[in-house]
Amino acid sequence: MVNFSIVHAMLGAVIALGMQSAAAQGKPKPPADKAPTVQENRPATAQKSLPIENFHAQCIGCHGIPGYKTAFPDVYHVPKIAGQQPGYIIAALKAYKAGERSHPSMRGIAASLNEEQMKELAEYYGAPAK
Amino acid sequence: MTRFALALVAMAIAAGAHAGDAARGKQKAEQVCAACHGPDGNKPSAPDQPVLAGQYEDYLVRALSDYKNGRRNNAIMKGFAGQLSKQDIEDLAAWFSSQPQTALHDQR
Repeated sequence: MVNFSIVHAMLGAVIALGMQSAAAQGKPKPPADKAPTVQENRPATAQKSLPIENFHAQCIGCHGIPGYKTAFPDVYHVPKIAGQQPGYIIAALKAYKAGERSHPSMRGIAASLNEEQMKELAEYYGAPAK
Repeated sequence: MTRFALALVAMAIAAGAHAGDAARGKQKAEQVCAACHGPDGNKPSAPDQPVLAGQYEDYLVRALSDYKNGRRNNAIMKGFAGQLSKQDIEDLAAWFSSQPQTALHDQR
C-alpha cells in the first residue's frame, strides 16, 4: 500500500512536469508573477484579465497535433490553423458561437470566448511561419 | 498470395472511388474559387477568407459538403458550393490540398 502511494505520487509528478514542459514549448516561460492563473473558482467577469495563454490550452489538444482527426462518427482531419488568416479565424469562431457552424466541441469553446479573446487567439495562430 | 493480391485490388478500387482528381479540380477552381481564394488557394482577396492551399483534403471535402447541405451557414459559400457536384468537391479538395505553396504551417 505504501509502495503504491509512492509510485502514484511519482507518476503524478512526472505527468505534471510533462504538462509544464509541453505548455512551455516554443515560448519562453512567463515570469512567476505573470504565470497563468487557475481559471476555476473565478467569476466570469474576471476572465477578461486572464492571459491569453490560458485559452491556447483549449486549442492545442486538437489543432496542435499534426495529422490529428476528429472523433466518431464523422472522422476527418482537424483543420490546420497556424498561418491561417486571422480575420478568417475570428469569422470561424464567431460562426461557431452564433450556431452557424455545427461542430459541438468548437461551439462550446467559441461560446466561452469574448471578441477580444477571439482576436488575440486569431493573431497568435495566424502569425506566419518564422 | 492470391488472396493478398485480391485484397490489394479491392483496396485500390475502394481508394479510387473516393479520390479527387487534382487536374480537374484546378480547372474548376479557376472557374469558381479563384476570384476570392486565388487560383492555388493561397491568395485570399479579403481578410476573412481562408487560405485553402495545403489544407487537409478531407477537411476541405467536409467544409464544401457542409456549405452545400446547409450544415455550415454562409450565404456566399452556400451559393458557390451549391453548384458543385460531389465529384467537383472531391476534385477541388484534391487540388487545393496538394498545393505546396501555402501560408499554413505547423510551427509553434
